[in-house]
Amino acid sequence: MDATGTPEADLRFTITIADTGETYACGPGQSLLDAMVALGRKGIPSGCHGGGCGVCKIKVANGTYETLTMSREHISAEEEAQGIVLACRTFPRSAIRLSVLGKMRKAVTQRRYGLV
Amino acid sequence: MGVMRIGHINLRVLDMAAALDHYQGVLGLIKTHEDDAGNVYLKGWDEWDKYSVMLTPSDRAGMNHIAYKVEADADLDVLKGRIQDYGVAVDDVPAGTLTACGRAIRFNMPSGHEMFLYAEKEFVGKSVGTTNPEPWPDGLKGIGAHWLDHALLMCELNPEAGINKVAETTDFLMKTMDFHLAEQVMVGPDGDIQAATWLFRTSTPHDIALVGGPKMGLHHCAFFLDEWNDVLKAADVMAKNKVKMDVTPQRHGITRGYTIYFFDPSGNRNETFAGLGYLAQPDMPPITWTEDNLWRGIFYHTGEEAGAFTSVYT
Ligand code: FES
Ligand SMILES: [Fe+2]
Repeated sequence: MDATGTPEADLRFTITIADTGETYACGPGQSLLDAMVALGRKGIPSGCHGGGCGVCKIKVANGTYETLTMSREHISAEEEAQGIVLACRTFPRSAIRLSVLGKMRKAVTQRRYGLV
Repeated sequence: MGVMRIGHINLRVLDMAAALDHYQGVLGLIKTHEDDAGNVYLKGWDEWDKYSVMLTPSDRAGMNHIAYKVEADADLDVLKGRIQDYGVAVDDVPAGTLTACGRAIRFNMPSGHEMFLYAEKEFVGKSVGTTNPEPWPDGLKGIGAHWLDHALLMCELNPEAGINKVAETTDFLMKTMDFHLAEQVMVGPDGDIQAATWLFRTSTPHDIALVGGPKMGLHHCAFFLDEWNDVLKAADVMAKNKVKMDVTPQRHGITRGYTIYFFDPSGNRNETFAGLGYLAQPDMPPITWTEDNLWRGIFYHTGEEAGAFTSVYT
């Protein structure tokens, strides 16, 4: 976000996906999902990148962050209070350790009828 | 008589400012109205009615309702009767309830999606006018989409539980509103489960599409572009603006359209769709895609699922 060459522009936090041990760097102006995808990493399911579809649901085990509006269809107020967020709407303010909750529907269901 | 075309779609957005940057700045729609509740109304430059997109601020993404325009006011009474006879409850909606529209009827399709039919909407006019018009107006932003073309709705499909809202809703649209079937996907061991349909009232292959999924929702709404070069240019505009693209320019086997799938800032999927496809007529024999060719039907070049077609929607 900050392309002015101020020290903030160089700030990068280490993000750890606990499920796989994968780590990657994410700046404060990048969402956790955008940064992962930009680096070609995998682990968090990638969908709409707009907080609407819910596939990128994660739980932050430790670390601080800020979020943009997330669809209440997928993140309840109680969940939000417990650190359950959408990775595409979450911006790190420290190093973060997270686990993946969202799953692509196709990965968990056997398709018997072409589309479902 | 009867349904003419898609009239508008009411989308829920999580952040109105970001949504307007997208629908105005990237898609190139034109804002025509904002109401006291914070809803914003937009149209394409080539549309003449007041709006085809209504954005509603909300805490969740997705579609509130879809509306189709009928030719004459009296059609509303005829269609109300036919829909009630089919067994679906219909509400009368007074003029002005749908912003800038005359009286309307409201019902939920068998899939659960809310639909309105109306005969009148306030006239604004195309950006190029009606007297000796230029082929396109100056000052368009971004992609400069012509009009809202169609929507694809996800309908619950669970054959093992005996649920097929695609087939039910298709039957409903055909029997009550004289939609015609252009194309269908048939799946299952005996190829007898209707898993997706493309239906029309205009002379293009689809004004609405229905696809089976785990639960009802909005798959996408599509905006019209003239041709393939416009699709490439649209993709460039999206890349410049860092719009999340789901599927880069490609051809659909089904409808033959040229497509891009991408997301608005709230995660609602949009499409830019170019080309006529083919001339659709009521007496045209419907086209059937079999399960083993399903993905060639959807993404003709790669023949496999691209992006997150069936697992990501709002
Ligand atoms: S990718 Fe859709 S909500 Fe995050
Ligand atoms: Fe489409």
